[in-house]
Order: sequence, then structure tokens, then C-alpha cells
Amino acid sequence: MGELLVVVALRWADGRARVDPLTGEVETDPRGAGAGEADRCALEHGLRIAGAAGGRCVAVTVAPPQAEEMLRDALACGADAVLRVDVPEWDPRLADSGSGTAQALAQAVRAEFGEPGLVLTGDHSADRGTGSTPAFLAARFGYAQALGLVELAYADGALTAVRRLDRGRRERLAVPLPAVCSVEPAGVRLRRAGLPATLAARTADVPTVPGAVAGEPVTVHAARPYRPRAKELPPPPEPDPRLRLLRLTGAHEQRDPPRVVVTDDPGEAADELLGYLKAKGYLA
Amino acid sequence: MRDRAGPAGAAVTVAEPERPAFDAIVVGAGPAGSAAALELARAGRSVALIERGPFPGSKNVYGGVVYGRVLDELIPGWYERMPVQRWITRRQTMLLSGERSMTVDFRCQSWGRAPYNGATAYRAEFDNWLTEHAQKEGALLVPSTVVTAVLRTAEGRVVGVRTDRPDGDLTARVVIACDGVNSFVAKQAGLYPEGQAEHTTLGVKETLALPKETIDERFGVSGDDGVDIEILGGTQGVPGGAFLYTNRDTLSVGLVLGLPGLAGQGRRPEEILAELKRHPSIAPLVRGAELVEYSAHLIPEGGYHSMPRLVGDGLLVAGDAAAMCLAAGIWLEGVNFALGSGMYAGRAAARALAAGDLRRLRDYRSLLESSFVLADHKKLRKAPGLVLSERVQHRYPGLVCDLVEGVFTVDNPKPKPGIRRLLRRSARSNGVRMRELARDALTGLRSFG
Ligand SMILES: Cc1cc2nc3c(=O)[nH]c(=O)nc-3n(C[C@H](O)[C@H](O)[C@H](O)COP(=O)(O)OP(=O)(O)OC[C@H]3O[C@@H](n4cnc5c(N)ncnc54)[C@H](O)[C@@H]3O)c2cc1C
Repeated sequence: MGELLVVVALRWADGRARVDPLTGEVETDPRGAGAGEADRCALEHGLRIAGAAGGRCVAVTVAPPQAEEMLRDALACGADAVLRVDVPEWDPRLADSGSGTAQALAQAVRAEFGEPGLVLTGDHSADRGTGSTPAFLAARFGYAQALGLVELAYADGALTAVRRLDRGRRERLAVPLPAVCSVEPAGVRLRRAGLPATLAARTADVPTVPGAVAGEPVTVHAARPYRPRAKELPPPPEPDPRLRLLRLTGAHEQRDPPRVVVTDDPGEAADELLGYLKAKGYLA
Repeated sequence: MRDRAGPAGAAVTVAEPERPAFDAIVVGAGPAGSAAALELARAGRSVALIERGPFPGSKNVYGGVVYGRVLDELIPGWYERMPVQRWITRRQTMLLSGERSMTVDFRCQSWGRAPYNGATAYRAEFDNWLTEHAQKEGALLVPSTVVTAVLRTAEGRVVGVRTDRPDGDLTARVVIACDGVNSFVAKQAGLYPEGQAEHTTLGVKETLALPKETIDERFGVSGDDGVDIEILGGTQGVPGGAFLYTNRDTLSVGLVLGLPGLAGQGRRPEEILAELKRHPSIAPLVRGAELVEYSAHLIPEGGYHSMPRLVGDGLLVAGDAAAMCLAAGIWLEGVNFALGSGMYAGRAAARALAAGDLRRLRDYRSLLESSFVLADHKKLRKAPGLVLSERVQHRYPGLVCDLVEGVFTVDNPKPKPGIRRLLRRSARSNGVRMRELARDALTGLRSFG
């Protein structure tokens, strides 16, 4: 295999968007927008893996021009190159759809950088958060996928990952390359860029290509709340209506009484929480 | 209370840099910093504007009124483009005493037309807009970067700053401290005297959302017109004042509280603000509003006498960093003084750099003295003391309200009392001696007149 190309796809979003309580309109502020925590972790993983593999790490985004700041930050942190895929106008195929975003990203990445060895993203974007973009990316590239990871390590040409399971368990994965991986905002923190790199990145050019998506956008014709079909259940056998009611509500069943814990000692409070989680099987 | 708050540490001694990276470093992209950077960049100087927030204005708190006249010089035609919430066409000064209030209400429609007077604006928008002007002229904004120390030569000349980034030292021929109140850049450079706490007040502010039409109706304005209410009293006995400003679809209501008084009473500022919002004169104005933000910030209110040395070796200090906020009862103006002083600091630095003689940084002081910045502060030097005095804070609002209550209470069959008698009675019941009243009136006249 040649030089490993690690592509980190960053979603530019306003993590503090406000919803008008009267009109339901979403107000966003481009000044406060940027990469979410999970995407920042993805970038850190990308930089580390590219460093360990002696490869290249590039950061890409499908976003309007205001997102250039985010890409400059990626450059300052050590990304070898960046690319912005422009959203021409309000195109629902790009702006709101994981599949459209993946299509535009894959096409631009192939054209600009060639076939990547590894594509990294955050697990969910901070605004819409369906987490579908990495899966669509894997489909576009035809790569293996490992999503929602908490650890990611590269050694001797092999990529290993850890994923969270229920009850505090972990799943260890050997990820075959090329692959698309998405990471949770956990485990690593994006490095702080040095001052000289920050100064250089402030005036760096951010290459931009137009985003192209083929096909019809998915349109929603009607949206109704989820109404599962009613299921018929036999009534409790008790003949007395009061007893039937008690059985249905479970009012007399034995259960753990709630415990009210009153402490202002953070240590004690933490012990209490840990004890509870252990008792419920969440901690090994 | 500790007087020396802020990041610990002292200036770092370094060797004289051979080739400084920039002509000038400006610390802080508030109004003072952006004005300084704009002036320097326009003069063709390389300048780095270092800001700790992710973007200019992101960390900044103020009440909400900008008096932009000084921008005529810096950004001609500013009022066509400045991000404004409302133009102030109605100014009120309100005295609160118990459940009573006395308001002087002034309306001036021409303030709502070019060239305008004052405007409410959000700092996140205003500061960013100013910085963009500096950037367009070539200043380099470095956001999300905190200056942690001053770099000095063994002889004491400031030659740059240290930041919190790896490899974070940056050198320049001149450093301009615009890092706001409690400026540790100025403190590290030894320009501040001890004991700043007593000259510092705490400003707290709530931003309350209401539909625009409701604000228009409640405050008797329409279109882009807005109201500025400055309030004396209403601080539950803590020396200070209060304010209420209209933005487009929010209100800014807040307090300015003297730190020693606040600490002495052991009261929480948000409790005092909640009391203010319950006052019968304020409650109908803020009723039903949704709280969207609570913020707090210090204000250097000491005025002329509490200012640091403004010029150091290789260093200038401007704006709140130099305690240039004018807080004199009916006025709370900091942004225009920050803009003015920043502009003159930038100008003095550009001239000194052009002349290749850093001793000319001293011109900064004379530029300030011949402008409103130090002229106003000098004239009003006694005002902060007077405004925060026990009499003005507690006794005079009571005196005025008693007097007005006496004038308008109809006590038939008793005949109306004479105003002079009412004044004497109100003075006595509020513990004010006529001699003190005359003296304060004279001081007030001398300061404000
Ligand atoms: C509650 C309140 C109400 C007010 N109301 C009004 C009003 O209605 N009208 C008015 O004109 N004035 C008002 N003021 C005063 C006004 O806000 C200030 O005087 C003005 O903001 C001063 O501008 P400046 O540029 O000097 O400082 P600031 O606006 O404080 O800007 C300083 C900048 O420096 C940055 N900074 C600080 N330290 C560092 C560091 N170490 N490294 C990098 N960056 C740093 C900060 O993030 C900030 O951006 C009010 C103040 C308060 C608190």
C-alpha cells in the first residue's frame, strides 16, 4: 500500500442554535459555528493516525464560505490540506441529507486527493445528528465501516477500534482498510494549535470546489406522528375490578424504594453514583 | 477582597528580539483594540490583534448603548452599516425610592435620523463588525488565544507577549493593551497603582425576549426607535445604579454595583436584580419576558483618579484597561471612550513607528488630553465619588420622591404646603442637611456643568 491518505470530514454547525418558541424558526449564528466535539475528536484521530502511518491527513467539509475558519483551524492543528465543497444555494440534497453530503464529499475527495485509505467523521453532527453520513460515505466508497467508536489506534499497518456496548461492555474491532470510521466525542481531545501555525493558517487560502449531487432529492409528502396499531391484551384474571386495576397499574408490586441522597460532598456523591451504576451492572 | 485578581504570573524577561514579528501587537479585540488595530493597519503597519474569545465580542458584556460619534473619524458613514438594534430617541433618568419613582423623560426624534446619536447594539455583532474593518485594512486577527504574559527586555522595555498556545511567544515593536478591565498586561508592566477593587463595580445584566410590537407599545416607540432608562436607587442599598434598554426584540435590564458595598452586604446580585424587576415602575415593562441570557462583568468606574500610567516603555494602554469607562450617574459610557482611546493609541503608535522613535509614544497622552477622552474624564473626575456617595445613593432619591409626593398629594381640607417648606421637611426626614445639599449641588454643577 502507498502513502495512507486519511480524510477527516467535518460538519460545520452552530451548536447553540436557538429555536423561536413562537414561530419555531431556527436562528443560527455563523460566528459561533464550527466543528462539533465528535468531529474534533475525529480530526485528532486523523492527525495521529496519519502521523503514525507516515501518511497525509486532509480535512474536508460541505459547507458555506463561513466554514473556512473551521478549516483554517484544522490547518493550524496540522492537517496537510483542506477542501471546502461549496453548497451552491439552499439545496436540500446537500444541506439536510447524509446521502447527498456523502455523495458530494466522495466525489470531491476522489477528484482532489484520490482514493482515501481511511475516512473519519464524528458519530453525530451537532445540529441534525442522525449519524447517517458516515454510513453513506462507506457505501459511496465501497469501504468497510465501523461507527460510533470510542477508541481508535493504528500500529504496524493495522487499525483497531473499540466500541461501546450495553452494560458497560466494550467490543474490540480489527478494522480492515480502507474503511470509514465515525468516533464518539470521547477518548481524545483535539490538540491546541501552536502560535506560528495559527498565524500562518489565518491567511491561508482554502481551496473550494462546487458540490455536485445527482438524482432527485428525497421529498417528504406528508408527515404524521407515529401511531402504532392498537394491540388487544387479555384483561387480568381477577374478578374484582379494584384488584384488576391494581394489577394493571402495578401499584402493590414490590420494588426498590427510591433513595434520596443528600450530600454536598462531591466525593460522596460520586461514590454514591458509582455504587448505583455498579449495582445496576453498568460498571464492571 | 484581593486587589490583584486575574492570571497570576509576572512579565517574562527575554533578550531584545532581532527582528520583531510585527510592528504592533494589540491585546484584546474589544472596541479599543479594534480601533487601535484599524488605525495602525491603515497607516500601513503590520499588526496582530489577539483575542481570547472564539470571535470578537463573544466574551463581552455591556448594557447596550453605543454613542458612535467618535466613529465619524474612524469609519465615516458608520451609521449606514453598523449593526444596530434601535436608535435611542427617548432617554429617561429614573429615581427609585421604596415603591415610588420619579422620572425625567426626554424625547428627541432627530436622534433617530442621520447623523444619529446613540444606539443599542449587541456586542457580538458590534465588536465583530469593528474588527472586520481592521481586518480589511490588513490587521491579523488571532482568535481563541489568551495573552498570558508580557515579554520584556532586561531594561524593562516591552517587546511582545506570551500566549497560551504552544510555541506561543510573539514579538513586536509596540504592544497596546486593550484587554479590558483588570488589565493584567498593564499590571504586569507595572503601570497600575495598588488598590483597584474599590474603583471597580460589578455589572450584571439580563437579556429578556419580548415581541417587537410589545416593546414598541410598552415603551411608546415605533420602527427603529428605542429607549434608554438610567436608574438611580433600586440597588437595595448597595452603591450603584441600574439600567433598562430596548433592543429590537429583547430588553437589557441590569445593575451596576460597587464591589466593596456588595461584598459588605453579602447580597447576591441576581437577587437585587430580581427585586428591581419587581418594582412597580419596572415590572409592567418586563412582564412576561423570557430570560435568554444572564451575564456579569466588571466595570472600572473610578474615572480620572484611578487611571494607570498610560504609556510604558514600548507599551500603551487604552479603553477599560486604562480605566477609561465614564460612569457618572446619568452617563454610562465606556464603548465610545474605548473607541477614542484605542484610536489615539493606534495613531500615536503608528507615528512613533514611522519616526523610528518609540519615545514618541508619549504623544498618546497629549492626543487624549486634547480630545474628549481625558477632557471629559478630567472635568468629571469628582463625579464617580459624588454619584456613589451615600447621600446621592440613598438619601436624595428619598428626598426627591418625598418632595414630589408632597407636591402632588391633595390633603384637603388642609391648604397646599409651600415648596420650600416641603423641601425642608423632605430633607429632614431623609437625614439631609441643607448645607450638604448646597455643597453637593455645587460639586455637581462644577463636575457636570
Ligand atoms: C453591565 C455593563 C453595562 C455597560 N453599559 C454600557 C453602555 O450602555 N454603554 C457603554 O458605552 N458602555 C457600557 N459599559 C462599558 C463598556 O462595556 C466598556 O467600557 C467597553 O466594553 C470597554 O471596551 P474595551 O475595548 O476597553 O474592553 P472590552 O470590551 O472589555 O474588551 C476587551 C477584550 O479583550 C479581550 N481580552 C481580555 N484579556 C485578554 C487576554 N489576556 N488575551 C486576549 N484577549 C483578552 C476580551 O475577550 C475582550 O474582547 C457597560 C459595561 C458593563 C459591564
